[in-house]
Amino acid sequence: MPVTLALIRDTFREALARKIFWGLFALSTLMILFFLFVLKIDIVQGAVATLSVFGNAGPRGSQPVEQLVRGVYAGIATFLYTWGVFLSVFASAGLIPSVLEPGRIELLLSKPVSRTHILLGRYLGNVLVVSSNFIYLVLGVWTILGVKTGIWSPVFLVSIATTAFIFATLLTVVVLIGVLFESAALAIMVTVALMIISPIVAQTNIMLRLLSSEWSRRLWQGIYYVLPKVWDLGRMTLNAIQDRSFSGFMPIWSSALFGLIMMGIALRVFSRRDF
Amino acid sequence: MDSAFAIATQGLTKIYRSRWTGREVHAIEGVSLQVPRGTIFGLLGPNGAGKTTFVKTLLSAVHPTAGGALIFGRDARIPDARRTIGYLPENHRFPTYFTGAGMLDFYASLSGVETVRRRTLIPEMLELVGLRDWGAVRIGKYSKGMLQRLGLAQALIHSPSMLILDEPTDGVDPVGRRQIREILTRFESQGVTIFINSHLLAEVEAFCREVAILHKGKVALTGRMQDLTAGKGYRLTVPKPSDALTDALRLRAASMAARNGLLDFQFATRELANEAVDLLRAERCEIEALAPTTSTLEDVFVRTVEK
Repeated sequence: MPVTLALIRDTFREALARKIFWGLFALSTLMILFFLFVLKIDIVQGAVATLSVFGNAGPRGSQPVEQLVRGVYAGIATFLYTWGVFLSVFASAGLIPSVLEPGRIELLLSKPVSRTHILLGRYLGNVLVVSSNFIYLVLGVWTILGVKTGIWSPVFLVSIATTAFIFATLLTVVVLIGVLFESAALAIMVTVALMIISPIVAQTNIMLRLLSSEWSRRLWQGIYYVLPKVWDLGRMTLNAIQDRSFSGFMPIWSSALFGLIMMGIALRVFSRRDF
Repeated sequence: MDSAFAIATQGLTKIYRSRWTGREVHAIEGVSLQVPRGTIFGLLGPNGAGKTTFVKTLLSAVHPTAGGALIFGRDARIPDARRTIGYLPENHRFPTYFTGAGMLDFYASLSGVETVRRRTLIPEMLELVGLRDWGAVRIGKYSKGMLQRLGLAQALIHSPSMLILDEPTDGVDPVGRRQIREILTRFESQGVTIFINSHLLAEVEAFCREVAILHKGKVALTGRMQDLTAGKGYRLTVPKPSDALTDALRLRAASMAARNGLLDFQFATRELANEAVDLLRAERCEIEALAPTTSTLEDVFVRTVEK
């Protein structure tokens, strides 16, 4: 455990030095400040009486407060899930290749620590750096909205778990590319490509109707089941926040399986590599 | 830790294969080497001889193609076997976001030193390597020599039984070199085995008790320093004698070299040198000089790699 903690602390220290942590922290703080000072909500008898941004009042109405809050939750969750994850991948992609630099990795390997431990410690540190920012942003917005509206719906907090989970899944790809090619740029390209194609691949019902041959339909389905379900998990999060139902947990366990396989390959490659 | 040898390798071989062309490079081949406990051992070799690969196999940074290595009797591939090693790499790249104390803390914690112990050890180590006032300074501001000394402190902080040092005085000024040598001598007296990979022959000669020379991936020579460099014979310097006498002297000499109108004959034993003197005096030839000679490590090295 002390070794794991040392590796995590080292990742945090490097993230701080590279201004990664501070960059994400500043973005989150900006959003929190927006909800704290800029967004003003007046509530009368459980409905939004006036809603103003930068002092400009929006249309008066009797929209239920809970509906408004859920809408804000959904907006934040969507921002966090897309841009938050994208920025986090972009910011942390260099943290794996940096540890493999000649002159640094030999010293790490000379310590009585297994290679698996080194890579997992680094990975865990990376996940915690990013997750701490997710927690800060979501808890901050949740608290401000709770104080302003009196609604303390814990369902918004689910977005911390799902966003951190999908980041952790995508980070396994970053780790694998990192140990294979030591290239942060390539790791970003592949991971962002996975994020971009996810909503396309997820349209299985449409594609199965459009594709003419049986093998191409199977191939599409195969690709869908193999790749992480970035899109589906995002939909699940939104549905949960907006109190809508969702069908099954397949996107979670199949994405977890994808992450485990990627990490397994990364560990295998890392343990066999010469430095 | 009950082995008589700090390092024992048997048939250690590493072949690098190109992923695309399949071309093979034999970095080390069948290296069998034994480093006794408590000695200062120097590993020498020309560039590309396989020294770094050898060291990296000891640390499991490189996986051998064949053969194996034991560290104090334990398989070098087991992470725990490395608990007894303190290592200073040649071209180290310590993360510059560390302070000196922070770096020691990180590497000491990886070596299993407990938090309380680290608090007392870190100032001690900084003091030992002459960086007492630099502990709170980011290492990006350190000079090459200071980094080298800090690297030595990180190698020592967990009280290892063996130090593996790759070019430990590289980039260090003469005062710093002496300081490093003094520190290492102190640890040698405490029974710590010191394994040095260096190209500075004079330094290895002055400091190491035993030496091995790697050449083209193989052990070309190994032995105790005093045996390799001591009492190698007598050099007789004479003005060029007659051809017949030259031939007679040459028959007895191990080698002959001409310089500035003089001839140097190298004799392996005192008896042969005396015979040569008798021959010269019988012919009334003058003798310019007669002196006992010892080989320098450089002589040994050059002879070994030029064979």
